[in-house]
Amino acid sequence: MASQQHVLLSPAELAYLHDSLSLTPPLRPDGRSPTQYRPLSAETGILPGTNGSARICFADGTEAIVGVKAEVEKTRRKWDDDTIYDENKEETREEAEGAEGSSDWVELTVEIPGFRDDDSSTVFLAAMLSEALLADGGFVRRLVINRRFHWKVYLDILLISPPLSYPLPLLSLTTHLALLSTRLPRLKSEGDEDPFFDDDWAAAPYLYPRSSNKKVLARPPVTLLVMAVGNNIIFDPAKEELAVADVALAVSVGDVSSSSSSSSSEGEEDVDMTAEEQEGRKLRLLSIRTVDPPSRLTPPGVPNATNSAYGHAQVGEGGKTKQQMPEARAAESEAVEGVWKPPRGGAKALVMAALVQKTLQRGGVADEVFDALEGVDLG
Amino acid sequence: MPLDTSTYSLGLLRVDGRRWNELRRIHAQIRTQAAADGSSYLEMGHTKVMCVVTGPTEPGPRRGGNVGSAGGAGAASGGQHKDAEVLVNIVIAGFSSVDRKRRGKGDKRTLEMQSTVANALAASLHIHLFPHSQITISLHVLSQDGSLLAALINAATLACVDAGIPMTDYVAACTAGSTSTYAANDESADPLLDLNHQEEQELPGLTVATLGETDRVAVLVCESRVQVSRLEGMLAVGVDGCKQVREILDRVVREKGRKMIQEGTVERGTGLNDMDVD
Repeated sequence: MASQQHVLLSPAELAYLHDSLSLTPPLRPDGRSPTQYRPLSAETGILPGTNGSARICFADGTEAIVGVKAEVEKTRRKWDDDTIYDENKEETREEAEGAEGSSDWVELTVEIPGFRDDDSSTVFLAAMLSEALLADGGFVRRLVINRRFHWKVYLDILLISPPLSYPLPLLSLTTHLALLSTRLPRLKSEGDEDPFFDDDWAAAPYLYPRSSNKKVLARPPVTLLVMAVGNNIIFDPAKEELAVADVALAVSVGDVSSSSSSSSSEGEEDVDMTAEEQEGRKLRLLSIRTVDPPSRLTPPGVPNATNSAYGHAQVGEGGKTKQQMPEARAAESEAVEGVWKPPRGGAKALVMAALVQKTLQRGGVADEVFDALEGVDLG
Repeated sequence: MPLDTSTYSLGLLRVDGRRWNELRRIHAQIRTQAAADGSSYLEMGHTKVMCVVTGPTEPGPRRGGNVGSAGGAGAASGGQHKDAEVLVNIVIAGFSSVDRKRRGKGDKRTLEMQSTVANALAASLHIHLFPHSQITISLHVLSQDGSLLAALINAATLACVDAGIPMTDYVAACTAGSTSTYAANDESADPLLDLNHQEEQELPGLTVATLGETDRVAVLVCESRVQVSRLEGMLAVGVDGCKQVREILDRVVREKGRKMIQEGTVERGTGLNDMDVD
């Protein structure tokens, strides 16, 4: 449903692509290694009118812009919360941190030109991206101001270029960078008072706090697009590669340290995190979604053995019924070497396991992606 | 919140410090996006717009019924037109204004701007050269500070130039307004050029687009009440502003063209001998 696009490839071309991608090591049409991402250029803080913004351009020309806006909103009290707010009561930090966020504090919209707002693919993309963000509750906990107020965050994701490839990795990386560059005004009021903010933007702390040497201590999750062809696992597939995928998955990965150090309070910038930095990154799987690959709708090839044009088909009474529907029969027949047949059924358990392992292992793809994102100058 | 325009008569300076006939800073780039046939980025003050043009292409399946379209013969679907169809798609980002406000695709103001841009460009582009095809113009509004329609038209023109679609001339647009809203102040009212958001909220204004260096008006949109005696002055200032805008757009295109020839991206054509490339 989500990644359906017209891929104008013949069954023969699809078979060729599928075969070259199933080799060990796989041969990708653009010459990348199976775990290699497309090169990209990124910049953050491009829109001064937003709380945070980012723009990413992939080498194939696809481009996205994400803007983050935040508003103060009153927290709805839980029905069983009978606490009477006492202004004189000294509230400790722990209590404020215990406050739970709610998933409707984040509103995420995806805009793809030419697609309707309620188009299933845009809705599905938005759902996948917000799911990753909300999965462990770490993000919404950062939005707590006090027990009565919270930030409501609006994430608007624009795809600028025509959707050449399935835009999930692009949008996810851009959202990641936009959130990293997001700053919220510094809180001046204390406790459960009506919030009152510092109007000095230079003093505004980042939503994801940084250490004194400008190193980001925690990071938002990233959603990777992974596909499997035969026994090979390929990351960040291009459009043509996705057209022959046996399975396509959206895997969301988070940095564990981001949830443990969550809500380390606005204004408190020098959090001691050196221990975790030394340990290296601890990755955690947040969610997996299967994406319906366009390969399922591709036309099957007809093997020579049953193709009457090659004179191999039986001519006679027995072959007559067969000849009426060569395509339908070919789809049901066994796989023939070199003849394209759209994949059927779900992912193999072994492939899924390998895929998750390959993503999460130390020095794996998710690790590399996070490393690369660290290289982006956040200004 | 009423804007205090009464101070204008003291120093003859507007809220952002400009005089009556001054444009805001216009910064434009073309070919900003490698994957598209044509693209541009335009800033008019704090109004920031990106444009991506696809086409002329074979008409694909129509997505969404609410795209502004112009050209072609009638509303027949399937691209059976004698002329190319110009489709305009405006996305106003939720973060573009000061307070976040999400406008859906069906928003009436957006739809009207879509059809205005589509009609203006369809009249300037040589769409009769591309029968049975469509030209899709996607406009993204990243930041709004007045003169939105003018910025959209200018960005679309630049992107069409970049896409190499033959056209009569630049469609350059600009806004004009008048300093006071009431009739009693008639003799001291000055026309203003290039309104920003604050002025647009408070003062009568119009958007005008002209074709190239001529005085031929391609678009004239006035959404506010204005004294008919002031209209002529506003229009004259607007048309004058359009000429300045045209100069700026032309400079951007020439600059990029010169750079592309120097880098060897394109062959130096025979007709370019009059253009000094150093």
